[in-house]
Amino acid sequence: MANDISEAANPDRVSRPLPRRGLERLDLMLLCMEALDLNGGEAMVWMSEQLGYGGLFPNRVELWKRRCHNPLRRTCRRGEVPVDETDALIRILCVMADRLYPMLRSLLSSSEPEEVASERWALFQGRLEELVQERMNPRRSGVQKLLDPKDGATQRLQLVQGLSLCAGHGGFERIKASLMDAVA
Amino acid sequence: MVQSSVMKQSLVFDQLSCRLQVEGLPDVSIGQSGAALGIITGWNLQWLGRPLLEGRREHLQALMQVVLPYARHLISGIRREFSVAGEPVDIGPHPEGGHRLLLRSSQPDTPPLEMHLDDAELADLVRVLDLLRLDPRIQLPLAIPEPEPLGPRELLERIPLHRRLTAPLGGATVLAVSAALVLLLPPPAVPPAPTPPAPAPQAKPG
Repeated sequence: MANDISEAANPDRVSRPLPRRGLERLDLMLLCMEALDLNGGEAMVWMSEQLGYGGLFPNRVELWKRRCHNPLRRTCRRGEVPVDETDALIRILCVMADRLYPMLRSLLSSSEPEEVASERWALFQGRLEELVQERMNPRRSGVQKLLDPKDGATQRLQLVQGLSLCAGHGGFERIKASLMDAVA
Repeated sequence: MVQSSVMKQSLVFDQLSCRLQVEGLPDVSIGQSGAALGIITGWNLQWLGRPLLEGRREHLQALMQVVLPYARHLISGIRREFSVAGEPVDIGPHPEGGHRLLLRSSQPDTPPLEMHLDDAELADLVRVLDLLRLDPRIQLPLAIPEPEPLGPRELLERIPLHRRLTAPLGGATVLAVSAALVLLLPPPAVPPAPTPPAPAPQAKPG
């Protein structure tokens, strides 16, 4: 891949596993992809095979188990996720964001008519809320904030904007660096 | 898409709102040939409904040096100005929302050009720059800062100052008020010192 050279330039960062906060954001971004694409779950498994990650995630259960390291999940798993597996999840995210880029763009564009944009956001928000309520622990403050009509809107916009800026192979390094951020 | 005339190459990268066209030549002095582009002779960026931007390699590099780190920081939720000293391009958040791209011309008496981009247009710009830097036909080094994880200090910037100061100022106020109330309390009355008991008279023998 094109970013192999840049990864080699900073081996320390490359070899470090994602922190819990990074795993949380990665899973939320994948959840946004599912909210945008009704067949997102299937697409993720298919994409994993297409990218050659069949060995890491041989079936949807294995993929789901890695995503369950998100501390906001109802069934949260402890421990770290190996770097090659988080890298694979990030690549799947980037390729899916690239595939759904027209939808991400239409959500972000200010040239869309106000009513159309509102309807798009309402549809996305409704689907995301369903997925969050189904899979996340409602007692966690992070989940409550995401479902909050006011605070959640800012967070949803940031997730969609992040997805638009990490779409494609060029976004891998950006999103990975962001997921490795320290805890403020 | 590649258009070539003799040795000259022209690479075009398209997105919905913008088109980046880069022209150049293979650097034959280091053995490049064919579709390789080792020397950038010029570039232009066309925006829908906006003036055409043109420049040399240095300008393109300056654009990449501010736009890509700005995008990387936005993913982490940090909106701040990006500029490189002496370079002609600045980018930062626009006060009315969206993003402000400021381009200073090297031509004398030409005022700077300010462009107001929305989130979708910024994403398009980032994508064309990504397509350019990852294109295998581009065979010249482009000095672009490596995306790095942000430290706690940088991440604190995304929290507004008044919210950052609320907790410590609130704590200090509560402490000061508590101390003042404690000082207002009357000191407890000092109990009288116990008087020593009188010695008992001793009986004389005999």
